[in-house]
Amino acid sequence: MADHVTLTINEKEVSVPARTLLVDAARMAGVEIPVFCSHPKLDPVGCCRMCLVEVDGPRGTAMMASCTMPVGDGMVVRTDTEQVRTVQEANLGFILLNHPLDCPICDKGGECPLQDQTMRFGQGISQLIEPKRLAKKHYDISDTIVLDQERCVLCWRCIRYLEEWEDKPQLGLFERGNDTIVDIQEGRPVDAKTSGNIIDLCPVGALTNRVSRFSYRPWEIERTPSICMHCSVGCNVRLDSRTHQLRRIVGRENMQVNDQWICDKGRFAHGWVNDEKRLAAPLLRKNGRLTQVQWSEALAYIAGKAAGIKEKYGADAIGAIGSGKISNESNYALQRFMRGVIGTNNIDHRDGGDVAALPTGLPALAELMKPQYGPDPQVDTVLLFGVDPSEELPVLDLHLKRAILRGGVKLIIAHARKIELTRYEGPYLAYRPGEEIPLIDSLKQAVQGSGEADGDSAAQAAAELLSESEKALIIYGPMAARGESGPGVRLGLEQLAQAAGEGTSVAYVGLDGNAQGCRDMGVLPDRLPGQFPLDDAEAKARLERLWGCTLSGSPGYSYKQMLDSQEMRGLFVNGANPAAESPDWAASLDDLDLLVVTDLLPTETAEKADVVLPAQGWAESDGTYTNLERRVQRAPKAVADPKSRAAPDWMIFIHLARQMGAAWPFTDVRSVTEEITWAVPAYAGLNWEALGDQGRQWAAEAAPSTAESIGRATAGVPAAASAEADYPLSLVTGTVLYDGGTLFGLTEQMHGMAHSATVTLNPDDAATFGVEAGSPVTVQSDQGQLEVTAAVDAQVQQGTAWIPESLPGAPVGALLNGSYTQRVKVERR
Amino acid sequence: MITEQMRQEIDEILARYPAGRERSGILPALYVIQREHGYCPVEEQDELAEILGIAPAEVGAVVGFYNMLHEEPKGEYHIEVCTNVPCMLRGGNRCLHNFETTLGIHHGERTEDGQFALDHMECLGSCGTAPMAIVTDQKSGEIRYFENLKSAADVEKAVDVLKSGNGFRSLERWTPEADPDNKGAADGPYLTDGMEPRYLMDRLNEPDSHKIATYEAYGGYAAARRTLEEIEPADMVDQIKESGIRGRGGAGFPTGVKWGFLPPETRPRYMVVNADESEPGTFKDRIIMEYDPHQLIEGIILSCHAIESEKAFIYIRGEYYFAYTRLEEALAEATAKGYLGENIFGSGKNLDIVLHRGAGAYECGEETAQLTSLEGYRGEPRLKPPFPAVEGLYAKPTIVNNVESICNVTHVMRHGVDWYKAYGTERSPGMRIFCLSGNVKRPGLYELPHATPLSELVNRYGGGPEDESHPIKAIVPGGLSMKLLTPDQFDTPLDYESVAEAGSLLGSAGVIAIDDRTSMVEVARRTLSFYREESCGKCTPCREGTAWLEKILLRIEEGQGLGRDLELMEYIADNIAGKSFCPFGEASVWGLQSNLIKFRGEFATQSESTNPDEIGPVLPIRPDYRPNTHEESGLRDSTFAPVGGNIVLHDDLVPGDD
Repeated sequence: MADHVTLTINEKEVSVPARTLLVDAARMAGVEIPVFCSHPKLDPVGCCRMCLVEVDGPRGTAMMASCTMPVGDGMVVRTDTEQVRTVQEANLGFILLNHPLDCPICDKGGECPLQDQTMRFGQGISQLIEPKRLAKKHYDISDTIVLDQERCVLCWRCIRYLEEWEDKPQLGLFERGNDTIVDIQEGRPVDAKTSGNIIDLCPVGALTNRVSRFSYRPWEIERTPSICMHCSVGCNVRLDSRTHQLRRIVGRENMQVNDQWICDKGRFAHGWVNDEKRLAAPLLRKNGRLTQVQWSEALAYIAGKAAGIKEKYGADAIGAIGSGKISNESNYALQRFMRGVIGTNNIDHRDGGDVAALPTGLPALAELMKPQYGPDPQVDTVLLFGVDPSEELPVLDLHLKRAILRGGVKLIIAHARKIELTRYEGPYLAYRPGEEIPLIDSLKQAVQGSGEADGDSAAQAAAELLSESEKALIIYGPMAARGESGPGVRLGLEQLAQAAGEGTSVAYVGLDGNAQGCRDMGVLPDRLPGQFPLDDAEAKARLERLWGCTLSGSPGYSYKQMLDSQEMRGLFVNGANPAAESPDWAASLDDLDLLVVTDLLPTETAEKADVVLPAQGWAESDGTYTNLERRVQRAPKAVADPKSRAAPDWMIFIHLARQMGAAWPFTDVRSVTEEITWAVPAYAGLNWEALGDQGRQWAAEAAPSTAESIGRATAGVPAAASAEADYPLSLVTGTVLYDGGTLFGLTEQMHGMAHSATVTLNPDDAATFGVEAGSPVTVQSDQGQLEVTAAVDAQVQQGTAWIPESLPGAPVGALLNGSYTQRVKVERR
Repeated sequence: MITEQMRQEIDEILARYPAGRERSGILPALYVIQREHGYCPVEEQDELAEILGIAPAEVGAVVGFYNMLHEEPKGEYHIEVCTNVPCMLRGGNRCLHNFETTLGIHHGERTEDGQFALDHMECLGSCGTAPMAIVTDQKSGEIRYFENLKSAADVEKAVDVLKSGNGFRSLERWTPEADPDNKGAADGPYLTDGMEPRYLMDRLNEPDSHKIATYEAYGGYAAARRTLEEIEPADMVDQIKESGIRGRGGAGFPTGVKWGFLPPETRPRYMVVNADESEPGTFKDRIIMEYDPHQLIEGIILSCHAIESEKAFIYIRGEYYFAYTRLEEALAEATAKGYLGENIFGSGKNLDIVLHRGAGAYECGEETAQLTSLEGYRGEPRLKPPFPAVEGLYAKPTIVNNVESICNVTHVMRHGVDWYKAYGTERSPGMRIFCLSGNVKRPGLYELPHATPLSELVNRYGGGPEDESHPIKAIVPGGLSMKLLTPDQFDTPLDYESVAEAGSLLGSAGVIAIDDRTSMVEVARRTLSFYREESCGKCTPCREGTAWLEKILLRIEEGQGLGRDLELMEYIADNIAGKSFCPFGEASVWGLQSNLIKFRGEFATQSESTNPDEIGPVLPIRPDYRPNTHEESGLRDSTFAPVGGNIVLHDDLVPGDD
């Protein structure tokens, strides 16, 4: 078949790829055909009939739906005739017939395709004198989406999105004929994790954003192209603001990252941005109480105190915790402050030095994507190891589902929980925390054909898939690679990839929005910016030249070590909350001579601080962030609170450096971004202007080798050694999307969605322990205990207890106390 | 809760469909649930979703689509009275009124004791025995036809029979005249006549006509046995092409040509027998399935041989319960004899026939909608191309043929191509079962060769106008969708070409006679009520346009017609026809379009005489913006108003009046 066909549209010849739909061909030729149901990202359905055009055929001229008709060679099409216009007018009349025309109070008004098309293609008058059909108006189909059945024009876009992309047909057409409505099944609200995209897709005001509704008019908002910070996918979004307030977030197309989809947390959970609980002025502890002070006083206090500690105990008595939630610029300034001004490598972040990561993240998200009319996925098999995209990286989950359903990708899942993606056919390998390495070994043996056929058919099937694959991708996350066994997991997976043959690659994905950038910036105790080992002479020389100082060569403490260690005297905590993670850590924070917490909101850690500095969030200052495929993207300043005196982290450290006698050359954030392009060779050229609105990936070849560098020995709480009899269950924890954490909790409308404070058990275990769903229970490890409610779910494997992280009222850290695995027992209260 | 026993039954149902296609069993599975409760509770819909591995909303969407699946309890006996045009012409509305009086409830209601629920219903395929009602026995899920309910006494008698518990002694149709003792006795086949010799309807009046023994005594299955042994599939396709059989469902597409569209390589292929006879005025397939099912089965065996299919589905409309049981019985007989199953007739060929009940949706008679429905979805049509012959059921090559078309295959293979072509005309060969209904003396089924003049059917066979003093003023020649013919066209020969030349189509050969007692405004309004009710709702023009037309016609009927309404209706109709997703659009307005041309005076007179000052309707003020999110907005579902009497039923939509 020829690649291109030539057809005539409105007397003009155009050549388009074969199988293009007529409506798209017209668009390519610059001819607009009005549509409602047709959407380039959804399968054609042909139900709105708005796009009828004249097509000359063997049996004369016919009115054809251009959204369902593929082009043909020599086809003659007219879209501007009297007949076409008549039909468009009449059809708009039909569409508007029962539409309530409540545009003045409709959120869509002003950006509504129905309004626009009525202007352009409508008749201008109404012939209806009959009563309109009535239906349910504005009722909630989920905590975040409101449906107005009267406004709906039944284009099926929402239905198709949930079916074709989410593979969760939670909306459907109900009733029939003129009574047909879009609805949910009674008592079954929409809960797909990217359901909010149907609001963007809706061509009328039938689906509106429950969090944002009635808080803006489209013509009076400012639109800032930005990115989402909730996870490491780095979805492109648009921040809509008015009067210094963030009003709404919508998806923005980036075909390399998120197509045009974003998840519901990214879309809706932004209540914190303008929350009144935000820290707005520096606080200094005076007479035991945190008291509001001027920036100068706070900074002078910190500088003096830090200098004193350094003099008395040495630089290594001071440490800093950065964050995967703050920008590259902030992380860079923080680590430059620690290395260049304080003179220590005690710099890390949660899931930093304690996790055996790999430097380059995913090869490219686009390799996993299967856009509607785009390329097939480049990857044919995916092994997820200790990653749950549905809860951790929802848009990656969307891409994977599409790749499985439309691209034929095979999925293998190894996880401590039977995660949602296990609903697709494909081997599921269960393990308990701490058993990762034996599982990888058995997989490796099976791939090499040396394993005994011990009947573990899942491992066998997984091995077969990996061996058959031409391009397999193994993705692992921090859950599987924390602590002492981490390096073993990483090594094992690399060997597995090798065994599976050429074309198989391993990728580590961090979870926080800037997890990759945080590593790239050198917020690691054993790595310099660019992820170079401390003893990399070239990197060291480059930075010493750039910073005009001498760098310490001795490895710093990792996140966990800093918190476990009793030698620390001073600690800078930026965008982290270790006090909530472990009772022991909370206690040791009290013993510090200086604790400086920089954050958006008061936290448990801030309560213990000597100085609390108010930080600006990602929407309030320019910054760049690096996603899980090394794409550096811009998040420009979109809102500002004129009453707040919060400052971006990077600016705070510039001032602190100056207070401590260092002269940094920065004038603004762009100059920090610029310095990063010099300090990190992989970022060369990636300055603010060069990144543009779609970001740029840094070249994976620019990463240093993964050779292990010397770190300090792990100390602290030993891995659980409790007798199995006393603690029969293995504790499984991890991230859930709606965790009710600090930021999430401030979007009031989403409270109903938050994961409740529960421990989930396998039905068999629940029966054994005499526990039912809803029973109040005590979960106990030899580190501590929690009082929670029991839930029962077969997705939790036997012999394990599942408690997600960051649940308000159920801090799983109380059981772990800084360790990574624990055994627990569950008893009815 | 779906009980263990129900679960077992559901599993058995699902096992009839190909592996991985269990969703196809959703309608029969929902029948199991409905039988248990009288409706489909949401909780059990959700459980069924779990069993089928689909989302709960997908089950809810299906339940909402099909008329026979209820979302709230009906009654121990659910009575549904046909009020569609063929019944309306013979007193269907009066019959509904009689039921209302007898039971003391309005339609749409339930008696206080929960014994009876009453509804009006669209065409039930009983136009020759109008007026009539079907009754569903909730406990068993069985349905029985109660026909010839001409008077209030007939209706009272029917209700008495039900009350006495005798109503379901038999499932065969009930008439007042065949049940003198109120014991629920069965009546036999309804009026079947026509030219002698007859073929399709030859055995109907014999005792035990539905038994395999009767059919074989007549020489049945010999053609199938011989053909499977002697004739290559490709040769048989050629013979059917040569015979010129044209589809009897409505479109008249040549059967053999359709078979020829199958891509040569792809397997499996499926045959789907379209037994979803729903076109108002059509009731021929029903009698074949009720009284001569083996004729159909032999046709299926032959057709499947020709198209090399090993699996056939009979998609029978849900209301045809008696036909369903007869087919079930017949399939069992044929299987026991080795005519179905594996190695049929010892030929080495296999054929499995799955009997599948629909659940009340006219649109499912459209072939792609039927396939969608058979796959377990809402019966919405699909895009063509790909045509079903290329990509049909389960995306495999599929042939969809009407019951009567397939029965014709039996006779072509039995008597030969030349015999077949000896009847009718060159382009419309063969015999045809004409369904005569409306205002004639002897409505019924008449098997006649194609090209029999319309006047001969109506006057010679049908006995002429029902009431000699009221001449027939209009005839629908091919089912309610088709354009009207007027008395000056009564000599039109009833073949595809001649009827088309006369400006209409032969369609399903449902011939409806309308005499001058009937208002053509009412005919138009009732027609549009039907299409509004039965539109699947997928595409805009059909979904919105039919309802708009109905509202205008209702307003004219109510005495608020305006002069400009006629042009507006023509404008609306023009923009539905040819603009909708499937042929339903045309079908819904053809009748109206011809009506507006040929009986324009009646519409004008109606408006002028009732609304001489052209006063527009009082526009209902739109309800205020309703801040209470969960307030019901009062969707009203019925636009039916009976003639006679001044009864205004509470849920009627009266424009301008709440």
